[in-house]
Amino acid sequence: MNWWTVLDGFLVGLYRITGWTLIDYFIGTFLLALITVLIGDFTTSLVYLVNRPYFVRLNARLAELHELSMAALRLKNKSGYRAVNREANDTFGLVFFGMAGLSASYLWPAFFALAWMQPRFQGIGFPLFLTGWIANYTFTFLVAYILARLVFAPVKPYLPYFRQMTALK
Amino acid sequence: MAVLTLVLLLAGLVLGALTAGAAPDKQAIVGSALGLEGKLGAAIAKAPAGAGAGQIDSSAPRGFLGIPGAPQVNPILAFLWAVWVGWIFSTVGAFGGIMAGVGHMTIFGLGDYAKSFKKTAPELNKVLTDCIRMANQWLVGLSSAISSLNYLRSKRLAWPLGLALGAGSLFGAVVIPIMTGGKISFSQYQGWFGVAVFVVGGFLLYETTPKGQAGKKAAKAAAQAFEKSVKEGGESAQGIAVKKWGLTRIEFSFFGVEFGFNPFWAFIGGVLIAAISSFLGVGGGFLYVPYLTSIVGLPMFVVAGTSALAVLLSMVTSIASYLNFAGAAVDWALIGVELVGIFIGSMVGPRTQKYIPDIWLKRLFVVLALYVGLGYFSKGFFGQSWVPM
Repeated sequence: MNWWTVLDGFLVGLYRITGWTLIDYFIGTFLLALITVLIGDFTTSLVYLVNRPYFVRLNARLAELHELSMAALRLKNKSGYRAVNREANDTFGLVFFGMAGLSASYLWPAFFALAWMQPRFQGIGFPLFLTGWIANYTFTFLVAYILARLVFAPVKPYLPYFRQMTALK
Repeated sequence: MAVLTLVLLLAGLVLGALTAGAAPDKQAIVGSALGLEGKLGAAIAKAPAGAGAGQIDSSAPRGFLGIPGAPQVNPILAFLWAVWVGWIFSTVGAFGGIMAGVGHMTIFGLGDYAKSFKKTAPELNKVLTDCIRMANQWLVGLSSAISSLNYLRSKRLAWPLGLALGAGSLFGAVVIPIMTGGKISFSQYQGWFGVAVFVVGGFLLYETTPKGQAGKKAAKAAAQAFEKSVKEGGESAQGIAVKKWGLTRIEFSFFGVEFGFNPFWAFIGGVLIAAISSFLGVGGGFLYVPYLTSIVGLPMFVVAGTSALAVLLSMVTSIASYLNFAGAAVDWALIGVELVGIFIGSMVGPRTQKYIPDIWLKRLFVVLALYVGLGYFSKGFFGQSWVPM
């Protein structure tokens, strides 16, 4: 039995909790989304650990430039304001794309979850309770992912590893 | 002799007409969606069956998007290419998006595959083009849009401007996929992508010229001089206050200084930026930021939040539109592998940055931009690449 069969069996197990097909689907998808949120946040914390000094330095510089531009606005110094803004533009670019890399580190598991769901649920319509709408697996996973993030965010600071990470930030 | 010539001529004409009028050998079509969904499945069903170029061999191993005989994107290659893209993101910035496109089109061989259907199955050629540009969009736009959410939290969002831009971007992001989804051939897309690479390369080139460098140095010196002259600090946060509302003019103050804009032009700006980014399959962030700082003249710190809202709206709308109207299929695992590569690459970038001077990095990408731009432009619009590709 290889690792893929074990993983596949485990994920399928998430979809067989109550025995009611539709409810099982929604519970399974939510749990799958929660796992992707957990793994994603873990890898983000690794990235943050490795590059923390870099992010801290960049953000400090950005905050500094922000203060300066505010001072320029107060003093109605247009040329100073423009110069600081231009400097901030470069720093902001680095922060922006640094954040893009960081967000890739917490989003990647969600795409593997969707890849796992695709051959199993593609073409199936899932009725959404009370609305009468039919949604596909992508939409239901997206909603489950947002819910999982909402559930995980307040719990995160109390979990052992993530508590330390939150303190570091 | 004349009669004989006339008879021969007539015989030739009749034969020619018959040959021209004769129905060519009817090419067998696949006839089924082969389990593939939406427009992709429909286009596959209409494609000619066979093992040659521009044909679908239903017994061949399944490749990209589950299409039999399509290139199988090597996950290691996809990962390594994404590391390179992530490294560029964290060192040079927006050029990473272009390199992501180069990966999908050229390195993974998807462009040539899409192109092989140009004459045999134009519908499939167009659906594949949509899939490729959407793959670019996921990779670049999603990361940018999600990271932008963090800027929204800073509460420096010029929301009237964000709404005007956002409305424009919604319009652009909905209209472009409807107008072009399933209609753009791969060659056209590749040609326009080449033009965009040229434009970005042009900006990079300007930054490496003595004039661009001098301008940057002057701005840096001015910023430093100003930095020295400022002694006070600890300003209490004031944020944005809207002063005046109107159809042609909205004014707001930011830390006591007034800014104004015409919502109509902001709307048009949003339409254009969303249209360009949606058509090319790139995130709009790299266009919103210069637009808002250089053209609208807003402070960088307002721009961050405002562009975030517009990027987010146009990204979500554009992807949803492609999925709905264009029926583009998605290779989730490929995106997952690429995201892993991007985050590893963007971790490495800041560490290597100090060993490579910024200007040499930019020069390297100017050369790359010219090469890639020329290659795609010539291949897309003239049918053959003017540089080896």
